[in-house]
Amino acid sequence: MSKNDPVAGAAVGAVRTKAVADLIEKIKDSSPDVRTKAWLGAGEAGWPAVSSLAEVMTDENLEVARAAKRALWKIVRHAGRPGADQERQSVAVHLSSLLADDRPVAVRREALWMLSEIGEKELIKPIAGLLTNKELREDARMVLERIGDKASVAALEAGFKTAPEDFKLNLAQSIRKRGKKVRGYECVKLVPTKQTAVKTLPK
Amino acid sequence: MKPMNKLSRREFLAAAGAAASVPYFVPANVLARANRPGANERIVTAHIGVGGMGGHHLNDMKDRMNKGEVSIASVCDVDENRLAKAVMTAGAGVTPYRDYRYVLQRKDVDAVVIATPDHWHGVQMVHAAECGKHVYVEKPACCTIEEGKAMMAAAKKNKVSVQVGSQGRSQPEAYLAHRYLANGNIGHINRVDCFHYPSPEDNNPVPDSDPPEELDWDLWLGPLRWRPYNQRYLHGVFRWLLESGGGQIRDRGAHVMSCAMWWMGADGTGPVTIEATGTSPKQGLWDSAVLMDVTYTFKNPDWVMTWRQMPNDQLPKAEERTGNEPGGKISRPGYGAIYRGTKGEFIHWGGDGGTWAEKKAREWKPGPGAKEVYKSPGHKEDWFEGIKTGKKTIMNIDAAVGVANLTILGNLSFILGRKIQWDQKKQEIVGDEQAHRMMSRPQRHPYHL
Repeated sequence: MSKNDPVAGAAVGAVRTKAVADLIEKIKDSSPDVRTKAWLGAGEAGWPAVSSLAEVMTDENLEVARAAKRALWKIVRHAGRPGADQERQSVAVHLSSLLADDRPVAVRREALWMLSEIGEKELIKPIAGLLTNKELREDARMVLERIGDKASVAALEAGFKTAPEDFKLNLAQSIRKRGKKVRGYECVKLVPTKQTAVKTLPK
Repeated sequence: MKPMNKLSRREFLAAAGAAASVPYFVPANVLARANRPGANERIVTAHIGVGGMGGHHLNDMKDRMNKGEVSIASVCDVDENRLAKAVMTAGAGVTPYRDYRYVLQRKDVDAVVIATPDHWHGVQMVHAAECGKHVYVEKPACCTIEEGKAMMAAAKKNKVSVQVGSQGRSQPEAYLAHRYLANGNIGHINRVDCFHYPSPEDNNPVPDSDPPEELDWDLWLGPLRWRPYNQRYLHGVFRWLLESGGGQIRDRGAHVMSCAMWWMGADGTGPVTIEATGTSPKQGLWDSAVLMDVTYTFKNPDWVMTWRQMPNDQLPKAEERTGNEPGGKISRPGYGAIYRGTKGEFIHWGGDGGTWAEKKAREWKPGPGAKEVYKSPGHKEDWFEGIKTGKKTIMNIDAAVGVANLTILGNLSFILGRKIQWDQKKQEIVGDEQAHRMMSRPQRHPYHL
């Protein structure tokens, strides 16, 4: 099939649409058996299913929402297999669209972590954009720490420069982890902070 | 107290002996060379995580304290109810903490017992080592490949003695099994099939909620990425989540495979490939494999180890016993391993605090020239010896990380749905960028390695 063949392209699109609709229907099924079989087999659904599954991830039925989330993870794990670069990139691009402000925080957070496994240089910018979002900045920091590209270090360093004081230590941790020096903002991992109300028994 | 570094050890003991009212409670590291207590000194311990196995360790250490072997300085837990109970167990004068870093700041503490959920083991062991504390840490040693590397490096750099709680190696019948196998009684062993009953499914899923008042949810999560509290995370049931517990393979696998690596003389080696399949829970928060099949292929020497979580009716039948055997009756027949050699087979059940060897190994009498194997004096005793002498412990951190890595790699293959290639020398997954990234898990500030 030629990439430029509009008829064939439409046919493929229709098949994909049908496959995604079938998947979503099964993910929403009342039977745990049907839902489980659906999410376990979702890997090959690929990028066309990303957005629809994300919608279901906030379904009011917790088990349906969970099945949708697990289906999306299956897609990420399948797309990340060796030798599937194009598929991985397509899924990652569609995941990055889930980072948008109008998406629920829970979906955005999950998408961030999915990108931590398959995201690359091209997607660092939208991830780094969340370093200023108070609810998601810590996840964004960790995800950037994991993506092994110089651009992610640069994004962490840029974020550090403009970060509020209460977040600079977090970013400094990631920058150091990636092998770069940070002036000031020493590591506080061994500094205790939390007190107990339980008392010692007197001798 | 007068600075001890002004007195020789002999002078100090004479002075202490002369003062009848002075109890023999000396911060051991005051007397000993470089953070190692002397042979006759009490080791001062602290307990981080005091529920579940942590409660068992605390009770055990209290018994040892009553016998004059150790002193307990502090207890620590993120659950105030558990902490209050631990204070009652430990007794007067023992200081409670919520934050383990207060424990690590104490100069009088020689050694810590860490029995927190698995996702804390790596970070807390590394921090303890960096503060010069000897460590007993529950199994599995670590949850990621990166944690394991950091743990080995921290123990080595800070010269601390680490014992990991795969205590199966120290059981009487483990010694008998090891000796039997090491003397070639079943010939050359080319396959070890580990068996276990399935991981549970959550039949009572509940929605997220506010954490209970007594729990510091932030500290419980520690290095894990933040998420709302759900009562199906804890206590104990954290095992059934891949992130925090890893399922049966990372729980009991850290026992059964520990015996296998020890008896096969395979500590320090690793597989070249790992391939796993399994079934997943149909509902609820828990996500570890219910049934599971993992194949580990080792090269030079060539052998295969498998881990199989199977339906209960497929488990090998347990040996009948009188109860007079060294390990007594088999109380947990649902896990163990079958060793397959060129001259026969051997089976053991359990692999943790209960390790039961097949009759033929128990009854085998070594002849002249038979190969002897190490007989542990007890898992804690072996650790104490390590603390005092610097001797390598039976489940030292290098060996324990090797075993934990097997379980981690098995789970990774299950999660990814594909075979993994492993480079033991580099301690790295090769040829799979996604799996390679999953060797580490970014940690939440400030609870990091």
